Amino acid sequence: MSVILFCDGVYKTYNPSRPNEVRALIDVSLEIEQGSFTLLRGPSGSGKTTLLGILGALDRPSRGRVLLDDRDLARCSGDALATVRRRRIGFVFQNFNLLPRLPAWENVSIPLIPTGMAEQDRRKKALSLLEKLGLGDRTHHAPEELSGGEQQRVAIARALINGPDVIILDEPTSNIDAEASSLLMQILADLQREGKTIIASSHDEDLFHRADRIFELRRGALAFSRAPSAALSRPLC
Amino acid sequence: MLKHLALFHIAADNIARHRLRSLTVVLCLIAILSPFLSAISILEGVKAQSLLSVDEGADIYVTMDLFGRNGVIPIADAAAIKTMDGVFEAVPRVVGRIAINGRSAVLLGIPIDRRTYDLTIIQGAPPQPGEVAIGKKLAQALNLGADGQIGIGARAISIIDHVPYFMKKMYRVSGILDASADIRTADLVLMDINDAVSVYEMDGFATDIAIYTKPGASARVNEGLMKMNSAYRIQSKELVKTYVERGLNTRGGVFTALYLVAIAVAVPAVLVSTGIGLPERKKEIGVLKATGWRTSDVMEMTVFETVLYAVTGASAAFLVSFIWVRLLNGFFIARLFISGTGDIPSFPVPSQFFPLPFFYAIFLALTVTMVGSIITTWRTAAVAPGEALR
Repeated sequence: MSVILFCDGVYKTYNPSRPNEVRALIDVSLEIEQGSFTLLRGPSGSGKTTLLGILGALDRPSRGRVLLDDRDLARCSGDALATVRRRRIGFVFQNFNLLPRLPAWENVSIPLIPTGMAEQDRRKKALSLLEKLGLGDRTHHAPEELSGGEQQRVAIARALINGPDVIILDEPTSNIDAEASSLLMQILADLQREGKTIIASSHDEDLFHRADRIFELRRGALAFSRAPSAALSRPLC
Repeated sequence: MLKHLALFHIAADNIARHRLRSLTVVLCLIAILSPFLSAISILEGVKAQSLLSVDEGADIYVTMDLFGRNGVIPIADAAAIKTMDGVFEAVPRVVGRIAINGRSAVLLGIPIDRRTYDLTIIQGAPPQPGEVAIGKKLAQALNLGADGQIGIGARAISIIDHVPYFMKKMYRVSGILDASADIRTADLVLMDINDAVSVYEMDGFATDIAIYTKPGASARVNEGLMKMNSAYRIQSKELVKTYVERGLNTRGGVFTALYLVAIAVAVPAVLVSTGIGLPERKKEIGVLKATGWRTSDVMEMTVFETVLYAVTGASAAFLVSFIWVRLLNGFFIARLFISGTGDIPSFPVPSQFFPLPFFYAIFLALTVTMVGSIITTWRTAAVAPGEALR
């Protein structure tokens, strides 16, 4: 399999040179293969969300390179990064980040608005995707009228609407119940079968067993990386 | 094009969805703009009516020059002026201010056989010597009707506790003048010129002579007057118009300047009101950026929102000011532009609504809302979405 995302010596420091400076990522280097399911693990505050944000082109590293198909995201302009987020990457936030005043279908269609697609087509596409994710009867409900699992599926539909290659999920099982979690596993398996690259951060054992590759972060640095099938961890530092 | 239409549609939807924020912004704009629009409309109305009255009035006004100011002129000069070539009529007038029971009024004395302009008597009859006709507003304030008695005097005979006491002569009220036709008639006291002369104790003199010329003879008469008496102070219709316009424009300019200062002070209020739901707005922008919107897309949507707010706010303010001026008769604000008017004007306040002030209002509303929202949005939209959502 070819490498789709590559991090090379990535650092991320918040509030640099200030008393409240936080070094969130320290010299992180990793490769993510196309079509794989990669899991990020680590204790709270270890830098998982920061790394996902950088891999998802939501944030820039303070130092280092992030290559998406040999294109360095760290050097891209703001508009170029927006295009990458629109076309290549779908991001599912831990708290879903749905817009509370919009019904489910409009939340899903948000990424299509800047593409200039007619509202009728946007609606059709969003409804079809929600139907596929089992939310056909919830399309006009506001987020607050949906359960945690349903909200997450709306967020997944929003991430998928532009047909991205890479799906990134931040703690996808932390805000949903067991039933919704099981449904999520099914959706992720289907996405992987479609050839999507999935990157998630989680403590969930189910995800741990399904991942092709696991990276563990501790205090911003990569502690080890392994494939679940491997008998031993491969220490990195 | 479809993209811009979609962004416009989303902006309109946002305004409808964020009801509290939208209502607050529009109310702020109404509060800021409606006094401005009302004031300008009243100013234009007063200006138009004043210019009309100048148009309908005499062609030339003559007084004596008194150290560069208007001085009284002999009434007898009117007869000499009337014989000049090109003069149709020469009417001596006494125009002055008097106080009646503590109220300020305008006294106009003219020969009783001559009416300088149309004054409609709505009750009673025109005044004869020893009689007066008074404006409706004054009549209401003094609780007078036709056949009533009114004491008028201009000479203060004593001052007790800083209050002047005037020697007064009693006059019969012959009639009431219609106040709806013209704001000047509301507080007017109309009497024969000889009575007016005796009020001011200026026997044989008038304050001015109004000259009506034959068509095209104005310049010639002007020259003739200068030759007749070099001490004449001659004011043509055009000059009076210029004075009226300049005076009202200055007043309007001062008001606008003060108002702009007030708006500048009000901007922080709008800033706060457009900032209602700011955390939600910040999250919204972060989500839009995270899902592939460019900074320019977010800004375009915000500009559409701002324009919609401005047009809605200015339109609502226009409607409110129309109601304020036309239905509520310029309650409170009319006194700023019509001297001697109380909080509740007792005559129809003149007003004119033109498109230009409306466009000014939109521009002001745009400025205010843009300051309130564009900067905040830009600051959020320009950062990486990860940071905006943190």
